[in-house]
Amino acid sequence: MSQRTITDGSAGGRIAEIPHLRPVQAGVFAERAERLQQLARSGAWQPYLRWAAALSAAQHTALRGAPALPRPSEDVLAHCFEHAMPPLSPEGHPRNSLWRTMLYDMLRAVDTAALPPAANSSVEALLHSEDARLEAAADALLAGAFTEVDAAQAPFVAAALQVYWAKLALQIGGPVGVPIATRLCPLCGSHPVASVVRIDGAAYGLRYLVCSLCATEWHMVRVKCSACASTKGISYLGIDGGGDAVKAECCDECHTYLKIFYLEKETSAVPAADDLATLALDMLVDEEGYHRVGPNLLFVPGAA
Amino acid sequence: MSVNVSRRQFFKVCAAGMGGSSLAALGFAPTAALAEVREFKLLRTTETRNTCTYCSVGCGIIMYGLGDGAKNAHAEIVHIEGDADHPVNRGTLCPKGAALLDFVHAPSRLKYPEVRMPGSSEWKRISWDEALDRIAGHMKEDRDRNFEAKNAEGATVNRWLTTGVLAASAASNETGYITHKVVRSLGILGFDNQARV
Repeated sequence: MSQRTITDGSAGGRIAEIPHLRPVQAGVFAERAERLQQLARSGAWQPYLRWAAALSAAQHTALRGAPALPRPSEDVLAHCFEHAMPPLSPEGHPRNSLWRTMLYDMLRAVDTAALPPAANSSVEALLHSEDARLEAAADALLAGAFTEVDAAQAPFVAAALQVYWAKLALQIGGPVGVPIATRLCPLCGSHPVASVVRIDGAAYGLRYLVCSLCATEWHMVRVKCSACASTKGISYLGIDGGGDAVKAECCDECHTYLKIFYLEKETSAVPAADDLATLALDMLVDEEGYHRVGPNLLFVPGAA
Repeated sequence: MSVNVSRRQFFKVCAAGMGGSSLAALGFAPTAALAEVREFKLLRTTETRNTCTYCSVGCGIIMYGLGDGAKNAHAEIVHIEGDADHPVNRGTLCPKGAALLDFVHAPSRLKYPEVRMPGSSEWKRISWDEALDRIAGHMKEDRDRNFEAKNAEGATVNRWLTTGVLAASAASNETGYITHKVVRSLGILGFDNQARV
């Protein structure tokens, strides 16, 4: 009997393999921009979400026009593959100065009409900033030292770094070795921004962590802490009466949480975008004593 | 580059940090958003892995529960679906598995031992001790009467053919091993781990 394979990746008559990686797509920032526009139509976060939409749209423009970047050498890639290490880790990968070109492209593409004056002056300041200052800001952001960077400039610099790493990830594609620690991106070793339960084809019902930097998604078993891998003491905090589409997956073993988006409940949700529209959930979960596992680079929190 | 801060601390998104955040620095007043936050209340739910009890295929399921397991909190299973990570079923369920939620909440679900005495049409609730004593008594009586040490040809068989055992379909290897030891050492030949048959 011949086997009938359905084109969405699932198959009739056999159990499909779990797709370990979901490589970044060229339209990743356009998708975020569109969703942010949609989210900006209502609620208390409107002006902020409109800004984020404008920035994501500019990221898309910069990514589309991005020049080909020098790939890590085949030796490095093979070595990383063999030892399941992330080949594009910011610590190990020599960042090419082309990222600044991407930053300028992105800044020039930002629809300034959507921005308040403070944001517009950030754009101007960054366009005339010294290279060394930009490099220092990039180093600090990639190391997670957010307070060392001007809070009004940080999201723009981070957005350009996202474009740079997404471009690298697009060029590398897959495959990469199965990572040693599933809590970090197998491609660039960064923390996840959120996780998402997918509904398409072979990924139906599976949970993926979304990289906060390069936007690659990698599979992680559900009902498991994305920071300490505990399967004990996991619970889900959501806003009462706010629907089931987003919850904070909280771990009582290590007291951390990461948001989880259920596409079955909200098919148009885009994790990195919806994350910015649900900061209220973060604040409430923080009050319960849980710490967030990974950043959203378009939002730099102040010290409390 | 000197970075002597805890990364985790700065992933912290909290109401007190909003004033110093990029949101405020970019000129967006967080006042309205913060007011919104104060109107919200959190709801805790759980997701729990288990194995479907119906048959020996052993499909993985995820059970969605309300309540945080605290002593006085109302706890209830609100949804059950196939576990997409499970290698046996990858999220799929048969019609019986898909109806597990009704099975959990069925008003006729057996929750304690009951007995219907000979000649009676009523089920009567009994204690676990009573139930186990009664079953053990019946088993001993039947085994004493029907146990065969040797067959017609005189060969040793040590079998007890008049009683059978149905055990759980979702049993682990260890449970299966113990079940096998207990049942076979009594001489029972007929037993199965298929609750659906």
